[in-house]
Amino acid sequence: MQDKPADGSIDKKNLLNEYIMHESSITGKKTRYLNPYLGGVLLGVVLLAANFIAGRGLGASGAIKSGVVTVVTAVNPSAGERSGFIKEYLGAHPGNPMKNWLVFEMLGVVVGGFLSGAFAGRLKLKIEHSPKITSGKRMMLALLGGILFGFGSQLGRGCTSGSALSGMAVLSLGGFITMMAIFGTAFALAYFFRNNWI
Amino acid sequence: MGPLAVNEIISDNTNLFLAFVIGIAFGFVLEASGFSSSRKLAGVFYGYDTVVLKVFFTGAITAMLGLLFFSLFGWIDLNLVYVNPTYLSSAITGGIIMGAGFIIGGYCPGTSFCGASIGKIDAMIFIIGLFIGVAAFGAGYKWWDGLYMASFLGAPKISESLGLTDGVFALILILVALGMFWAAEWAEKKFPREEY
Amino acid sequence: MKSRLWLALFLIPLGLIIAAVPQNKTHPYKLSASQLLEEVNTRTQFITPETVADMIVKKDPQLQLIDVRSQDEFEKFRLPGAINIPLNDLLSDQYTDLLDQDVKMNVFYANSTVTANEAWMITRQLGYSNILVLEGGLNYWFENILNPRQPSSTSSDEEFAKYDFRRSASQALGGGEVTTQPAASKNAASPKPAILAKPTKKKAAGGC
Repeated sequence: MQDKPADGSIDKKNLLNEYIMHESSITGKKTRYLNPYLGGVLLGVVLLAANFIAGRGLGASGAIKSGVVTVVTAVNPSAGERSGFIKEYLGAHPGNPMKNWLVFEMLGVVVGGFLSGAFAGRLKLKIEHSPKITSGKRMMLALLGGILFGFGSQLGRGCTSGSALSGMAVLSLGGFITMMAIFGTAFALAYFFRNNWI
Repeated sequence: MGPLAVNEIISDNTNLFLAFVIGIAFGFVLEASGFSSSRKLAGVFYGYDTVVLKVFFTGAITAMLGLLFFSLFGWIDLNLVYVNPTYLSSAITGGIIMGAGFIIGGYCPGTSFCGASIGKIDAMIFIIGLFIGVAAFGAGYKWWDGLYMASFLGAPKISESLGLTDGVFALILILVALGMFWAAEWAEKKFPREEY
Repeated sequence: MKSRLWLALFLIPLGLIIAAVPQNKTHPYKLSASQLLEEVNTRTQFITPETVADMIVKKDPQLQLIDVRSQDEFEKFRLPGAINIPLNDLLSDQYTDLLDQDVKMNVFYANSTVTANEAWMITRQLGYSNILVLEGGLNYWFENILNPRQPSSTSSDEEFAKYDFRRSASQALGGGEVTTQPAASKNAASPKPAILAKPTKKKAAGGC
């Protein structure tokens, strides 16, 4: 809670903290994040723009798929021939698999995230982990989580950005179901992994 | 009249360039909201940091309202906007596996790129895992393509399945989400942790 | 706390408005009003009954006659091979694929040209191609194709050729009592309009 100045005038700093940003501390070092509701509105505007311009929502896992297809077809074309997965993709997306809306979008995400981190002073090479586990264990968990998520995103035809977020915005039933499954499972399993986070 | 690319008001290459620009905005907002930190992301499952809930639902609702109002003003043709198809079995199974990946890894693909862009090594490892997972799916595709293609229901909208109009569903979702936000604030007070 | 209240204050009214407003299904207009006026003025949308008769006789697979009158009228009399899309149902989803295509030549007809023209204008505004209107409608069809009037002796050759054609067509189409053999009628029928290929409709790709 911020102190209200005695004369009742609106303190600019309080306004900033209330609506735009709030400060937090990462073990002593202060950092600023956007007010989550403001962040949400901005995110919604970006998603709206994507739908208005390209007729589709945001996404992420599809870019990974493009990457995998490109690498496989370049390194081991015969495996690509044998894989129904790759053939289907190439059939539906003629031309260079990397010349793809999602790939360009994810490149932008990297740039955007970098810019934001730079402005907020959060650029730092580190392994973020709970003090209760080692950084080595964190890396193993990240790898395992990534593998599971990668696999699941292909099966579920989307990740939280593509299926859940963008799907909700267009009221897609499939997107909604996937979202419920993701968050439901994560909540259900949270207890078992609590030592890794809290 | 939107969508611009589908109505060929902009070229394919412009569309790709704009994808890049949209990506920048997306990444910036995600990182600025704190989605580059796996501990903040996982916080929603323990109650100590509900930023995921707030940003996610506010974002979805804003975009949903935006699309409905745009359609009302005749600025976009909703019939041309992509609606995710519903393959019931794979949607649920994939979601379960992703949920496990989320609570274990603490990222999702979009946020992992954000985390990686500010130097989080665990995010980069997560991305490597993503590649492995996708490749594994592709390699063993013939074993699960039955599941992948099962129970195709077309691309129904939630509102259609519930027999509501889009607008009424949007209103209900807004009320539910606001309820969740109040519950989230309560949870954060109840389970305080050092902020990340 | 405050920002949450502002958010609620902002979202709830918008939600109420969007819930109250009837669902809007935008069918965008592809042709501007002036473009449509141009087409109306050049009368390119008409196809002569002779051409249509020719196509029917020759069993041309490209022809698709569409009766825009009510179902009752359709059942009382219809042109060979015609289907019935009453004008009121023209925009229903079930007919979109039928109307928005580039395989057949859709020809609207009704008793006169009025209703058929209305159907043409509506579908043309939506950007559909390969749609024509039967000139003169069924009234003209009955008078001149099924029961062609013999031209007077002072009429031009063209008139005679037309008459011959109409008689033969009428016999093929089941009207009047004519016993002469159907003759080749290259001159009478005006050239058949060509089918315009539809530009491939782009559908947004998406998903992950």
